[in-house]
Amino acid sequence: MSMRSQGRRRGYLLFAALCIFTFVNLIPLLWAVLPSFKYPADAFTIPPTLIFEPTLEYHREVWFENDFFRYLINSLIVSAGTVLISVPCGTLAAYALSRIPRRNSGPILNVLFTIRMFPHMLLAIPFFVMGTFLNMIDSYPLLILALVAINQPFTIWLLHGFFLDIPRDLDEAAAIDGCNSWQAFRIVILPLARPGMTVAALFSLLMSYNEFLFALVLTGVETKTLPVAIASFGGEDISLWSISAAGAVGIMLPIVVIMLFLQRNLVSGLTAGAVKG
Amino acid sequence: MKTSRIWTLGASAALLAATLATPALSQETIRIIGHRSPPNEYYTGAMQKALPEGRVSVELMPIDKEMELASITMSSKSDAIDVLYLTDSSLKRFAANGWLEPLDDLWAKYKEEYKLDDFPPAIMEAVSYDGHIYSMPVLTNTELFFYRKDLFDEAGIAAPKTMDDYQNAAAKLDSGRMSGTIMSLKPVDAALNETHWYLNAVGDGWFDENWRPIFNQEAGVKAITRMKEMSEFAPRGFTSHANDESTINLQQGLAAMGLQWFTRAASMDDPQKSRVVGKIDWVAPPGGGARVANDGFAISAFSSGDKEEMFRMLAEASSVDSMIKGAEFSMPPRLSVLQNEELSEKYRWYPAARAALEDGKPFPALPDFNDVGDIVTRHVLRAVTGEVEVKAALDQAAKETEELLASRGYYKN
Amino acid sequence: MVRWQRGLWLFCLPSFGLLTIVLLWPLAYAIYLSFFDYYLGSDVRTFVGLGNYIDLLSETRLWNSMWTTIVIAFGSVALEFVVGFALALALYGNRIGTKAFSTLLFLPHIITPVVATLFLKWMLASNWGLVDATLLTIGIEPPDWLGNPLWAKISVILADAWIFTPLIMIVLYAALQGLNNSLLEAARIDGASNWRILRHVVIPALIPAIIFTISVRLMDVFRFFDTIYVLTGGGPGTATETVTMYTYQLGFRMLQVGKASALGVITLVIVAVLLLTINRMLTRIYRKGDQ
Repeated sequence: MSMRSQGRRRGYLLFAALCIFTFVNLIPLLWAVLPSFKYPADAFTIPPTLIFEPTLEYHREVWFENDFFRYLINSLIVSAGTVLISVPCGTLAAYALSRIPRRNSGPILNVLFTIRMFPHMLLAIPFFVMGTFLNMIDSYPLLILALVAINQPFTIWLLHGFFLDIPRDLDEAAAIDGCNSWQAFRIVILPLARPGMTVAALFSLLMSYNEFLFALVLTGVETKTLPVAIASFGGEDISLWSISAAGAVGIMLPIVVIMLFLQRNLVSGLTAGAVKG
Repeated sequence: MKTSRIWTLGASAALLAATLATPALSQETIRIIGHRSPPNEYYTGAMQKALPEGRVSVELMPIDKEMELASITMSSKSDAIDVLYLTDSSLKRFAANGWLEPLDDLWAKYKEEYKLDDFPPAIMEAVSYDGHIYSMPVLTNTELFFYRKDLFDEAGIAAPKTMDDYQNAAAKLDSGRMSGTIMSLKPVDAALNETHWYLNAVGDGWFDENWRPIFNQEAGVKAITRMKEMSEFAPRGFTSHANDESTINLQQGLAAMGLQWFTRAASMDDPQKSRVVGKIDWVAPPGGGARVANDGFAISAFSSGDKEEMFRMLAEASSVDSMIKGAEFSMPPRLSVLQNEELSEKYRWYPAARAALEDGKPFPALPDFNDVGDIVTRHVLRAVTGEVEVKAALDQAAKETEELLASRGYYKN
Repeated sequence: MVRWQRGLWLFCLPSFGLLTIVLLWPLAYAIYLSFFDYYLGSDVRTFVGLGNYIDLLSETRLWNSMWTTIVIAFGSVALEFVVGFALALALYGNRIGTKAFSTLLFLPHIITPVVATLFLKWMLASNWGLVDATLLTIGIEPPDWLGNPLWAKISVILADAWIFTPLIMIVLYAALQGLNNSLLEAARIDGASNWRILRHVVIPALIPAIIFTISVRLMDVFRFFDTIYVLTGGGPGTATETVTMYTYQLGFRMLQVGKASALGVITLVIVAVLLLTINRMLTRIYRKGDQ
């Protein structure tokens, strides 16, 4: 009896600790949402004010005077494009790498990683030169291609670990049944790879929705994404701090909603073995 | 499974087709980029009104982002930007690189129509490089000395005229929650402005006539030592404060005085932003030599649009009428507007601003000054925070500056 | 090679083709530029061979920033790992509302990093930031979070940890869920203490996930730049100037593209060597633990 009640007490303590930690961890977020409803005079006081005359002016300004909807659509197009290209390409490559001898795949994976470590800002300049040359600045495909490329190494690595977990016997059995490698992959392996692909897709989505540097350099009037749009609110006048906060809430909402729906798949996908490489 | 895969493929194909079909950039629109600030919001708005709806697109962003975007775009000779906002020091840099369209011919052609001889010589010099005009002067910004009139009166002290007055006043009013003075030492731009003031007011400036650094000589060391002393009265965190933070400190009544831009003055009296409405007064910065900036809008040399149309758009936005309306946000560079007596009645800070304009100083007119600023502010901050001795820091800064300028071909003979 | 393996190289074609065109080309171009004295403002570039590399390697600024980077990188990854692991274990042991907790705790990682850092700046800003304003109200004089060289480093580490701990948490939590329950039960029946179970059963089973999270984080923390740029801009003085901040200064502000590229290559080499060593070490510990 004592052991069980001890266990139960420990359970409550753990729950309480989690509650407290979660709350403290979210304070910066809650505190940031507040100024978007405050006039600046109320936003920066000592002691901090929780009671103030709220205003929706800054949210209205962000969404209706600053074309936020258009930027949101741009962001969604770019993110969707990146995910839809990056994940299939990465899946194919990762599968192949998991099925060739390790002494061949090892070096390739290492090279992929090394590429990933290069500072992005140094890639931005050649990218811009390339975009100018092809007359593709301020168009979706260029930004999407760039994001797919910087995202590929991670996607491949993630999925490679995943495919290693799928026994080779399955491919071989399919081969004996007369399948070629494409058929074996499509019929036998792909259905099993779904959770891993979901994880890869979610990480690609987060990356492409939040990417700033390439988006700044490669977009323009037509294709500006949300992070670039929000950066434009920082500046000279402090009333913009309230607008920044309103913009921050605006950029956060869509991705948080998407992730709320999909996070379950993230955990289950990761559990299914995406990181066992 | 199969259907969902087909769906995915179909969606991606449709998406690709859609994206490829988007025109790269409609050549019709004039694309303006600029630094986001109240006067720029006003003047770019005026530019949009000067041409039919939808012809002009404006993007405003923080100055460092604008400079990055502009540098990358123009160094690759791209026509993605048509018109851009430049401060006087960046203008020299961009003009020296050959990135800007000389405006001399258009200037002569439209002189009468837009009364372009209304700009004083100092302003024309600020927008010119190597004898050519490169930008349309749109706003003059001066650093002012902001101080809490009520606290000064209470303590029985007058507005400071010299750096010594300033130091004494700051020491006297520095107490508990109230900092003696704001100091904006965030690298690079904010710290550079503050350094510029000290080097001119206490020291002998930046360079000799051959662009050799003199800021590490005795007077310069005195200036930065003074800066270090003053930092005792600065609010906590002053090394990461830019104009925003300093403005808030003044508006929230957390600091008693200090150097800040003209463009910030109006917000001190705005009850939505400020808790010290009516309590702040302004004088020209003590000691003189605080920064005066003459900013304008230039046309890219690589723009494929109609440059004459762009020029007329700029001239329209900086017409006399437009500048009278814009006078709330920044000092109008036109003489006829600047001397307009109604302005001082309307805006309390104009008398101080006129005085500041007279004994202020622009940044040294070398194209590489921004890079010099990067070097010097880094070492000045190390000195102010006590990481190294003032003299040693400035010597190192001078050495790096000479190396940089030598590599850019300054000391050929 | 078996017949079904024959077509496999075709699978790599789309991905590697794309990488070659879009990523390797700029990378090669950057490496090529690192051998030139190239100022973006002029069309002239002079070949200087290893000149940029020699210049950089003999600078104290590079080594200072490298040291700062290493301190910040290891500090934040260590903090993230410890807290992330603890959270993962807590979530694993928790019975009520685990899904809600994991979602809420993951939130900081979803927010755009630039925006997330801005939020933290509003917490840490002196005087009117929430932390300062609260402490000042109850009469405690807080340290200068962003203005003191030591505290600025700590603030940067905390900021990075706030954003990236959730990633480690979620990966390790998922890995815990994949644990073989019968092993845990067996250990429990043998009367092993919780600590012994953690050390001898749980951690060894999690090693792949641990290696994964630590390598990914280390790699990114060396490259990341948004947090420091928004929070301190490398200041005060040069207290939080990391290699990437320095690269940014060289490449984007001074437009010394040649030298900046050389710095990029140097960073790449150092980080690659460091990571390889760490990976080897972790793997060795893993193997030893197995025996």
